[in-house]
Amino acid sequence: MKSNQLAIGFVILAVICIVVAALYLFGVLQIFASTTSGPHVKHAILFGALAVASLIAANFTREKAV
Amino acid sequence: MGLLQGATELFPVSSLGHAVLLPSLLHWSFKQSDPSFLPFLVLLHLGTAGALLIVYRNDWVDIIKGFFRAAVRGRIETPPERLAMLLMVGTIPAAILGVFLETRIKALFASPYVAAGFLVVNGLLMLGFEQLRRRAERRAALDAKPRLVQEASFAQAERISFRAAALVGACQALAFLPGISRSGVTIGGGLLGGLRHQEAARFSFLLATPVILAAGVLEVPQLFSGRVPVAEYIAGALLAGVAAYASARFLLRYFRSGRLDPYGWYCVAAGLAGLALLALHV
Repeated sequence: MKSNQLAIGFVILAVICIVVAALYLFGVLQIFASTTSGPHVKHAILFGALAVASLIAANFTREKAV
Repeated sequence: MGLLQGATELFPVSSLGHAVLLPSLLHWSFKQSDPSFLPFLVLLHLGTAGALLIVYRNDWVDIIKGFFRAAVRGRIETPPERLAMLLMVGTIPAAILGVFLETRIKALFASPYVAAGFLVVNGLLMLGFEQLRRRAERRAALDAKPRLVQEASFAQAERISFRAAALVGACQALAFLPGISRSGVTIGGGLLGGLRHQEAARFSFLLATPVILAAGVLEVPQLFSGRVPVAEYIAGALLAGVAAYASARFLLRYFRSGRLDPYGWYCVAAGLAGLALLALHV
């Protein structure tokens, strides 16, 4: 399924994931974490990886010049 | 523990279930609620992951190359590139659920009753997967054919759909419950996705490696932060690796024509026996 709009959606998702990763890394975000204070490296790495996956998905779904 | 984990990790009988259940039944001195228990199990899993990397070393070279080529190009052109993307899609559900459910899972580790109960569920799942496969074989008029012919009618791992890969990945997340076998549910998911048994096992083993490695990298530092017998733990990981290598070789040969049924019956029997022994305080 090729669509530039879908690709833009994935890029936005990637940006959101990066922001969430940063918030977990700096201990600002505590949702779904095992402790209520401090940085959550695992969560940050997960959202970093999801950001990469979203960017790959964006590259797959964007319309390419033949 | 290392030999036990390595031998049971790849067999569809739940290594985690056995690692939680057997020490309780045999009165071993492991404290399952101890903070170092999960990292210890992860270290044993790292031994298994090492064995899988050795078994599939050529596949992994192709998969890693294929991943970067396809990611940069934005298009899949070869089977290894497709397999790399399938593994990425399959890994995401387990990674998300593993990170977010970690604390609840740790709480479940403390109960061998839970592990024994889920072992029974795991066995029933294995038997259910095989019933569905037999139904698919009957629909394709393959039920009277020899097993090797039946298996040849199903697909290789690279041909599985992305939706099925995500389903198999979601199945993998179930294995965070002690007693549910990761390889069992992912092989079963692969069978539902139309793979032959040997290819479902291959996809399952390939899918396991990144999750186990990531979990190991994240958990092992905790192991070295407290007072734990590190040398014994590392020896356990090496034994787990040796046992896993032998298990992988055996299973890939077995699944050329073998089915999940024997493992399903074993899990039902072992789970029920475990529950009975725990109830009798043996």
